[in-house]
Amino acid sequence: MTFVILAVLTALEFWVSQVTGGAAVFLLIIAFAKAGLIVEYFMHLSHLWGEEAH
Amino acid sequence: MATAATHAAHTRSRLKFNRLGLWLFLVTEVFMFGGFLVMRFHLWGMTRPDLDQILGLVVTSILLISSFFMNRAELAIAHNDRRNFLWSLLITGVLGLLFLVGVVVLEWGLVPVRLPWEQEIPHHLRPTDGVYGAVLFGMTGMHALHVLSGVAFIFVVWAKGRRGEFSSQAYWGVEFTAIYWHFVDVVWVFFYPALYLIGTVAH
Repeated sequence: MTFVILAVLTALEFWVSQVTGGAAVFLLIIAFAKAGLIVEYFMHLSHLWGEEAH
Repeated sequence: MATAATHAAHTRSRLKFNRLGLWLFLVTEVFMFGGFLVMRFHLWGMTRPDLDQILGLVVTSILLISSFFMNRAELAIAHNDRRNFLWSLLITGVLGLLFLVGVVVLEWGLVPVRLPWEQEIPHHLRPTDGVYGAVLFGMTGMHALHVLSGVAFIFVVWAKGRRGEFSSQAYWGVEFTAIYWHFVDVVWVFFYPALYLIGTVAH
């Protein structure tokens, strides 16, 4: 599910750049949303203090 | 029994410090890559070079798909699914190499290639082409170096995985490589719009 959202956001930022002529605000908002998803769901930041034995 | 409990507690403690150490290292990396972004916006402002939009989207998609397979590899080893783990890791490494080809060979123009969507062999920026060349090569070069080291980690972990050195109970090496790889993806999440999308093309 995370991957699908990231793919949709990537397509969205490409489209936004074509439509708005590269408006930084919209593109940076999308970038922060994508980074947040990766950090939480792929990098498990909230599990930093977890005790799973890896 | 007490010795086993002590050993388990020691392992958990070491894992926490391993993770903390890795994240502190990544924080230092954020400062460096953040500096590159500041440099880009200071020197380019709301302009950008005329880069191949399709190629940018393709390499970004490749890196995103590689993150999916890296995550799949980590989940597989957490469930002792060794076959899925090894295949997912291998696919991640190959996609990482493809990303490098896309940026270093095609975007930098090391080899003159006409891509299917191009009318002719395009003119590529050189590192000496003023602020546009310098910033582009500085940012993509430093990122490519991290991708290259990530690919090296992936193949080392893959080789160790083939020898059965990881299990659902002990896979810190896989977790380290996965977090590092996803970090490289996060950096590109900001570099892609900064280089390819934000601003208008400078003439």
